[in-house]
Amino acid sequence: MRYRSSKLVMKKPELARNESTAAALVVADLQKSFRQGFLGRRGKPAVDGLGFTVQRGEIFALLGHNGAGKTTTLKSILGLVHPDEGSITIGGLDARDPRSRAHVGYLPESPYFHENLTCAELLDFYSRLLGLDRAQRREQRQICLEMVDMQDHADRRLGQCSKGMRQRIGLAQALLGQPELLILDEPQSGLDPLGRRLVREILLEQKRRGTTVVFSSHIVPDVEMVADRVAMIRHGKLDEIKDLREAATKRLFSATVSAPDEGSPLDVALKNPGLTVTHRRPERWTVMAADPASLAELLTACTASGCAVHDVQTAGGDLESEFLVGLETASPMTPKVEVVS
Amino acid sequence: MMNRVFAVAGGTFRESVRDRLFYLVGFFGIILVGATMVLSPLTVGAQAKIVADVGLAAMALLGLLVVLLVGANMVRKEMERRTITTILTKPVGRGEYLLGKYLGLTVTLVCMLALMGVLYVVAVLLTPATLAWSHLGAIYLILLELLVLTAAAVLFSTLAGPALAAVLSLSLFVIGHLLDSLRDFGALAGGVRKAVAEVVFRLLPNLEVFNIRAEVVHGDPVSAGHLGMATVYGVAWVIVFLLLARAVFARKEL
Repeated sequence: MRYRSSKLVMKKPELARNESTAAALVVADLQKSFRQGFLGRRGKPAVDGLGFTVQRGEIFALLGHNGAGKTTTLKSILGLVHPDEGSITIGGLDARDPRSRAHVGYLPESPYFHENLTCAELLDFYSRLLGLDRAQRREQRQICLEMVDMQDHADRRLGQCSKGMRQRIGLAQALLGQPELLILDEPQSGLDPLGRRLVREILLEQKRRGTTVVFSSHIVPDVEMVADRVAMIRHGKLDEIKDLREAATKRLFSATVSAPDEGSPLDVALKNPGLTVTHRRPERWTVMAADPASLAELLTACTASGCAVHDVQTAGGDLESEFLVGLETASPMTPKVEVVS
Repeated sequence: MMNRVFAVAGGTFRESVRDRLFYLVGFFGIILVGATMVLSPLTVGAQAKIVADVGLAAMALLGLLVVLLVGANMVRKEMERRTITTILTKPVGRGEYLLGKYLGLTVTLVCMLALMGVLYVVAVLLTPATLAWSHLGAIYLILLELLVLTAAAVLFSTLAGPALAAVLSLSLFVIGHLLDSLRDFGALAGGVRKAVAEVVFRLLPNLEVFNIRAEVVHGDPVSAGHLGMATVYGVAWVIVFLLLARAVFARKEL
């Protein structure tokens, strides 16, 4: 199967040829357990009845603790493991059909590549698997190396690359041919802060181009910074799908500011129904803002009146708290208490 | 489809080159020089036989070494290193991947045997003997045998770890060369043993079909019919092993 012309590379990805209205990815009632021991008995399900739909052009995250079933889910989507039950479609095509992966880029966790190949040779090899001709391969190699900031290391052998560099090259091979669906397993693991920022920027850039991105992580801030929606997975089960765009508008903010007790210059700002003084000590107020706009109004008033702002925090509704609370309640280590009436 | 197969084959061949497998050709040259300069003077009048015997045997054994070291390790190594995941998540079918790996190693073996063949021909021409076509026929059949063993090694590589796959491949090499004897022993023993020997004979490739070294060494003629029959037999076994490997690999969890 021929990939599209490299001239289209910088354009927004096309919709699937035959299913223009199909979701980018649909996972329904996915169940997977692995055979264990000499007799090959099936163990506890790694994924248990998982289902979600990823719309075109969104960044969708799978958030879960280690061993939650994120990688198994991604591998099932990619046909690397065979689900016991359930169905998966990519752009309307059954995921078991290799053609469904024609426009999919994948980065595994801690990718490993042939050490004897140079970065350029490796990308050339993967481009050939996509069916690109020589000119397209050269162009794609250049574009993808630049995207991951590795253009100066094209001729370096992978055996001489650091872990971070390999991760970047792994990302570059996933970006070859401008895939419509990008699947990344823990893309920021093993990267230094600069590398993490680069990955974030690449994901957001891909979203701007219309690429659908699905990635897994167990690090909440990584998810919060880029994802549109997040599926929280606990012990192989879907706990909740949260719309982070929606959550961001509902988030509360707590600000600690200094203001005189009488005749405060903040009085006008505090007439905003979105702002509530929750704690007042001498010249030190704690104000709760119901939305980012109210917070902005408070901070502007403080700046204008010379009131000091000591601290601003998100208060409640943040993903990390929810994730940790859910994790603790769902943990098999937590003793279950039955109330007998 | 074939573009992807050739891409995988090209990658496998390049890896073989980078892994310095072709150093074995140099080792073969040393063996030939040793046979010519050291052993030949000890066997007056049989210099050509020694060169042919040692040369063809060394070619077969070094080829077997490549099959055991590379072929038996080929798929499993990529599974363990997880390089296979990025390949199979491109639009590459598992059957295409296996065929590509197989063809890559085939090209490696063809190149190695071609280089060793050139050295062998030069060594034979340096002896008083004339170079008969049967010499080239013997090299061709060594290649065919190695291709059958490579296909078997690919199958074993999908089933077991590198060490076990290499042991299974070596066992197939040994048993494959003893099948005629096994059948004869079975016939002598009679009863159940005869039936068992017959079943084993039918289930495994008879690698003696590819062995015409004795004829070459003694200057006996080798018919084109035998080469043709061996080709059909070898290709049939390659197809059987690769289809089995594909069936096993299709169910593999990666």
